[in-house]
Amino acid sequence: MLPDATIFYAPYGYRFETMRWLLDPASVQGVTMRGDWYVFLIAAACVGLFVYGCIFWCIFAYRRSRNPQPAQFSGNKPLEVLYVVIPLLIVIGLFIVTMIAEIPVDRVAADPANKVGVIAFRWSWRFDYPGGITTIGTPFAPPTLYLPLREATEIDLTSADVTHSFWVPAFLFKRDAIPGMQNLFAITPTRVGTFRGRCAQFCGLDHALMTFQVKVVPDPAYERFIASRGVEVP
Amino acid sequence: MIEWMTTTDHKKIGIMYMVATMTFFVIAGILAMLIRAQLARPENDFLSAHAYNQIFTLHGTAMIFFVIAPFGLGLANFLVPLQIGAPDVAYPRLNATAFWMFALAGIVVFSGFAMYGGAAATGWTAYAPLSEIAEGTGAGQDLWLLGLLLASVSTILTALNLIVTIFLFRAPGMTMWRIPIFEWEIVATAVLILMAFPSLTAVLAMLLIDRHLGGHFFDPAFGGNPILYQHLFWFFGHPEVYVMILPYFGIITEVVATFSRKPVFGYVGLVIAAFAIAGLSIGVWAHHMFTTGAVNNPFFSAVSFLIAVPTGVKFVNWIGTMWKGSIEFSTPMLFAVGFMLNFLIGGITGVMLASPPIDYDAHDSYFIVNHFHYTLAGGSMFALFAALYFWFPKMFGVRLNETLGKWCFALMFAGFNVTFIPMAFMGLEGMARRVYTYPNIAHLGLLNAIATGGSVILAIGVMVFFADVATSVFAAARRRVPVAANPWGGYSLEWATTSPPPEFNFEELPPIRSRRPVLDTVNS
Repeated sequence: MLPDATIFYAPYGYRFETMRWLLDPASVQGVTMRGDWYVFLIAAACVGLFVYGCIFWCIFAYRRSRNPQPAQFSGNKPLEVLYVVIPLLIVIGLFIVTMIAEIPVDRVAADPANKVGVIAFRWSWRFDYPGGITTIGTPFAPPTLYLPLREATEIDLTSADVTHSFWVPAFLFKRDAIPGMQNLFAITPTRVGTFRGRCAQFCGLDHALMTFQVKVVPDPAYERFIASRGVEVP
Repeated sequence: MIEWMTTTDHKKIGIMYMVATMTFFVIAGILAMLIRAQLARPENDFLSAHAYNQIFTLHGTAMIFFVIAPFGLGLANFLVPLQIGAPDVAYPRLNATAFWMFALAGIVVFSGFAMYGGAAATGWTAYAPLSEIAEGTGAGQDLWLLGLLLASVSTILTALNLIVTIFLFRAPGMTMWRIPIFEWEIVATAVLILMAFPSLTAVLAMLLIDRHLGGHFFDPAFGGNPILYQHLFWFFGHPEVYVMILPYFGIITEVVATFSRKPVFGYVGLVIAAFAIAGLSIGVWAHHMFTTGAVNNPFFSAVSFLIAVPTGVKFVNWIGTMWKGSIEFSTPMLFAVGFMLNFLIGGITGVMLASPPIDYDAHDSYFIVNHFHYTLAGGSMFALFAALYFWFPKMFGVRLNETLGKWCFALMFAGFNVTFIPMAFMGLEGMARRVYTYPNIAHLGLLNAIATGGSVILAIGVMVFFADVATSVFAAARRRVPVAANPWGGYSLEWATTSPPPEFNFEELPPIRSRRPVLDTVNS
């Protein structure tokens, strides 16, 4: 009953870029979101180390053998105000950073250069390019999504059955494919390459195999692909 | 046996709750080990896709609905009347009804494994329309629905009971500003349950109508809306997260104060924080839906950030309680410190995920799996073990072995972190959650192997706990030395009565003149 996953992945498995995604995202939007990630990672590290420091200092300095006589106090008003105000300021700052990153990422141009329709279904994908080119994949032959380099492609995403999610880790981005609803978002790839994509929202039996690949190609190659109605595969 | 089955004594019902939840904990833990066995290697074929999907569905369902949340309520059942100096809860028979509904609910959900087509296999969230078509149509899914309906009603009844007990059954002198923090956390939890669980009951009923009575609530082909399911589910689902943490905050507060030999730092602040968390948690549900493109992300992001503030207050209050104290590292205190160290990571990753651009990448990946296990397993579950070690002498008149307890903690703490730290990196490498197989690319093979190794250590730690219970009970039965009323030097009223307490809890109540009545008795 199990599909032979080895055959399924082996032809291209090791060619994918790995682990560099967060450091080096492959899209304009990804670079914006990386900025958000970095701010939060640094803030998380600072807050985390500070609180860990406080905890470890307390359990070291006030263990029974070192401090047999406990002080009996039950609060400290200025301190209590301080630790409400400071976290409040931190989260307000983080919210501003979030909005600075989110607004451009969610922006969809009124007149996109390139439009691709994506329909998710159990358990693969259908890609509809301009000019009537259609690619339909299966779990065992995942389809390829071609995107032109440095050009904003608007993805028009929906689902044919249950809720799925279109995720390309190299773009640090996912958006849900919901039946009866259309989701629009833009991707502007910044480098040529093949990237892994997959369904992120659990969608039943073979959710694990619902993958695709994204191939970012130079603009002329993409133009030829469209002009030849999909014959000249980049 | 008959006595236990017909009892309305809150202590016996509380103990039965805890025994039942620990039984479900063992089952759900075995399911977790099966998950880790399947994921130990890339492209493993130890389990089939359908078997794996059933297993992770019931692992999540059981841990959430039948372990973490009801253990908190079970402990409250045992503790609340004792800590406020009452002979029993307000509605003892309702209490028994709620417990037996809960036990039945667990059996109903798990009986799905015996059905043709297997148990529910659509995740603990059972998103529609997935739960209405194909493998979601089996009897297992119906049993899951019925079980959760029973559990939701049972939980609502218990919440009602606890809230009335705390408001109306306090002993003379036990004013609201003197009840232990645990009671305040239970009040906040019960309020949350009363606000959020009806939404679960409703969404489950709607799903049943869709499945069997020709309804189309969530079917877009007939004008239904799958997003409606997500709204209703998460309107329950996010407050549920706090139902699963607030009682444990209360446990940690009691344990830290007792073993630091200090009063609770910032009592009023802690109470306000509990209600701030409860209030804000009603308004954050759609941060589970940032990637749907169908909700107002900035609003839900902002409220989710705000909830970090009262949670931070709790942290500073625990640290403030330890500050200048005289800390004794008995097993419950070790688990409390472990709780703080783990839950902090869960809290910090939670703030990160409240930022939609980060969530766009991390949502539904193993980064999320790391995050919620740090809150619910590294957090709540560690507090659960702190509670077991702390109140075991009060419940059974038997003290657990400290050496084994420390081993249990060390193994669980190491095992937990080795299991779940790699998962953050799996998520960043593009591993989605709820997949039964993954390709051998990047470092996924290595990271998963480490996680599985960690889970074995964690499981051994849990087994040490059960070995500790077995040997301690056996040894106590042989020695027949009764446990002191107050073995840890606790401050709240349950330590004023015998271990275990008599049927009506108190032969006589000490005068209650402060937040630490037992200490007053010792000093006077």
